[in-house]
Amino acid sequence: MARKQECIAMLLAGGQGSRLGILTKNIAKPAVPYGGKYRIIDFPLSNCVNSGIHTVGVLTQYQPLVLNDYIGNGQPWDLDRADGGVHILSPYQQIKGTEWYKGTANSIYQNIKFIERYDPEYVLILSGDHIYKMDYSKMLDYHKANKADCTIAMIEVPWEEASRFGLMIVNPDGSISEFEEKPENPRSNKASMGIYIFNWKKLRQYLIDDEANENSGNDFGHDVIPAMHKAGERMFAYQFDGYWKDVGTIDSLWDSNLDLLNPKVDLDLDDDSWKIYSRSPVAPPHYVGENAKIENSMITEGCEIDGSIDFSVLFANVKVEEGANVKYSIIMPGTVIKKGATVQYSIVAENTVIEEGATVGRSPEEMENIEDWGVAVIGNGIKIGKDVKVAPKAMVDTDMGGEA
Amino acid sequence: MAAKNVLGIIFSNAYDEVIPQVTSHRTMGSVPFAGRYRLIDFQLSNMVNAGIPQVGILTNSNYRSLMDHIGNGKAWDLARKRDGLTILPPFNHPDTGVFKGKIDALFGSIGYISDSGKDYVLITDCNVVCDIDYDALLEFHIERNAEITLAYARNVKSQLATAMEYEVESYGRISEIRYADPFGDDSSNSLKMMVINRTLLERLLHEASLKRITDFEQLLSENCGNLRVYGYRHNGYAKIIEDLKSYYDANLDLLKPEVRRALFPADKPVYTKTSDKVPAVYGINSVVKNSLIADGCRIDGEVENSILFRGVTVSKGAKVKNSIIMQDTFISENAEVESVITDKDVSIGARKKLCGADNYPVYIGKGINI
Repeated sequence: MARKQECIAMLLAGGQGSRLGILTKNIAKPAVPYGGKYRIIDFPLSNCVNSGIHTVGVLTQYQPLVLNDYIGNGQPWDLDRADGGVHILSPYQQIKGTEWYKGTANSIYQNIKFIERYDPEYVLILSGDHIYKMDYSKMLDYHKANKADCTIAMIEVPWEEASRFGLMIVNPDGSISEFEEKPENPRSNKASMGIYIFNWKKLRQYLIDDEANENSGNDFGHDVIPAMHKAGERMFAYQFDGYWKDVGTIDSLWDSNLDLLNPKVDLDLDDDSWKIYSRSPVAPPHYVGENAKIENSMITEGCEIDGSIDFSVLFANVKVEEGANVKYSIIMPGTVIKKGATVQYSIVAENTVIEEGATVGRSPEEMENIEDWGVAVIGNGIKIGKDVKVAPKAMVDTDMGGEA
Repeated sequence: MAAKNVLGIIFSNAYDEVIPQVTSHRTMGSVPFAGRYRLIDFQLSNMVNAGIPQVGILTNSNYRSLMDHIGNGKAWDLARKRDGLTILPPFNHPDTGVFKGKIDALFGSIGYISDSGKDYVLITDCNVVCDIDYDALLEFHIERNAEITLAYARNVKSQLATAMEYEVESYGRISEIRYADPFGDDSSNSLKMMVINRTLLERLLHEASLKRITDFEQLLSENCGNLRVYGYRHNGYAKIIEDLKSYYDANLDLLKPEVRRALFPADKPVYTKTSDKVPAVYGINSVVKNSLIADGCRIDGEVENSILFRGVTVSKGAKVKNSIIMQDTFISENAEVESVITDKDVSIGARKKLCGADNYPVYIGKGINI
């Protein structure tokens, strides 16, 4: 039996993230690179550590190799601990058979034994697809002060976007009176952030009941939360103010990266009191050449820049040769952009080669029909041949052009 | 695989006195270098990359920053149950006080050395920046059946009075070890790195202690004739840091692509403590040319031919040229610095101008506000 913990976190990292297309072909969504040197999962993991939560179960299922490797023993987040620490929880074989995680609630159900080892009072459920800095300990205080059974983190979203979210109608005392799942005509703009704190004993029972219910989809948002609400449990909304972005689509991933370059956006990663930790690459500082031109950009270790970079985020070990142009783009680790190539309004994944004179993406102003515009995406390890043109909105997952 | 039978020993304090400005509050080993490293990272990484499993770091004074940097050795994969990294603080004999020379230092840790049980001891300073192949050096040592193998290089003449040079015969045998003539022709210059058989080292240390010899070079020189001493030539890049000027030049040398390739080969990383800083951010109208920029920098001004360490701010209208700007230095709006070395946490006020000579930099001490 491990030492008792007041609160442990369970991080749902098993989803495929199919809306990210080829970016999640070989990696789980939480492992997608973000912000020059991070991966999405660095945010919830760092938030946990910074909030004083040192026991985290990471539930993986889809393409876990990169994610498992990245998390390792948890050392970059100070989660290599004798008591608790980070644990990768994959589905496993049991006497009654083998089951994949059927849904978010089922994945926690299958790990009841893991949770019980720590005998926690509270369980924090997190997802691995958002960029935000949040002190979960304040949310826990709020949960305790309300003597709640379940507290759901909530953020006010613009009314015109509200119908894309799971919404809550909240009473003046903070308790939740009603849920609305992506309604056509929203009556609230208070969106659920997919962050829950439960009293473990309560949740445990609901998970067992949910599992026994053959009609259930075994999902927190669709099944467990409504069941608790229906039964009249004490459910509260915890309001979060600050930057929070779902990076589950190509456009939002692109936007959110570029948000880092916007001084008006409230997401300061250079904050010593709330550091975002990551497994850093081992590389020297980046080199900026004689003819380079860099503005409004984020560049990290191991890069060699001789071309021009504007409004872009470059990850480790990216090379941009002389005369190459990179604009409004996200360039992931190890990619080489050769002489005279142009990459704009694009996301280029890891270890890609863009040959001389190739052009990737286009600016919206150049489009005849704006409907055809979108961020171009180049998949992992792809080679774009000399002078090849990649259209905006394209998703490239096979090599293009160039002499064999 | 012979490397697993090697104990590495690093002198972290040797030559502190040659760049007193930068070492007044730290050891030579913890002198910041190349934007995100400390000098000791190069020797530690050379050892780890060769597969040497155990390293002791000898310290004498001012080693708090070194301990802070090294921690438990995790960054070099040296936090281990078996072997691993140990910081060896000065061992005070009741009759000698804090040790004087390298012999004293080694003698104070002789228990650690013999307990290692390794057949070979690799002893090095940390003021030579290079990527040396210790695996090859070791192979050479074993193949020649040498008792001592000293590393040397051509074209790296040191100006220090204590610099040594070797007379290397064919087949690598060293026939003479002598003080280098700073004005003489190019010779086989000592890199202050050597492999010695452990039992021999223990014997020599006991003898030296009886004879009251404190100078390591003297000991080697005296024993050169009656021991099998060989020279291993390092052909790659090597730069000796022995005064403020050479420190400045060695940093700026990194702006050459061939030097970066030589010091940072892709398959042999230089490890260092990570700081979890954000990537560098370039603002509107920033102009950066021929410079090395570490993470955590914020650049809104102009930077040319310079090395910026982690967390440096170059504000709007500020100009930085031919300079080494250490960690967390803040350069305010419209300030100008040229040929300057700023130590950590320096702050240069708005519109202030600082300029060193083309061939000699001005040094601004740690935490100074201008």
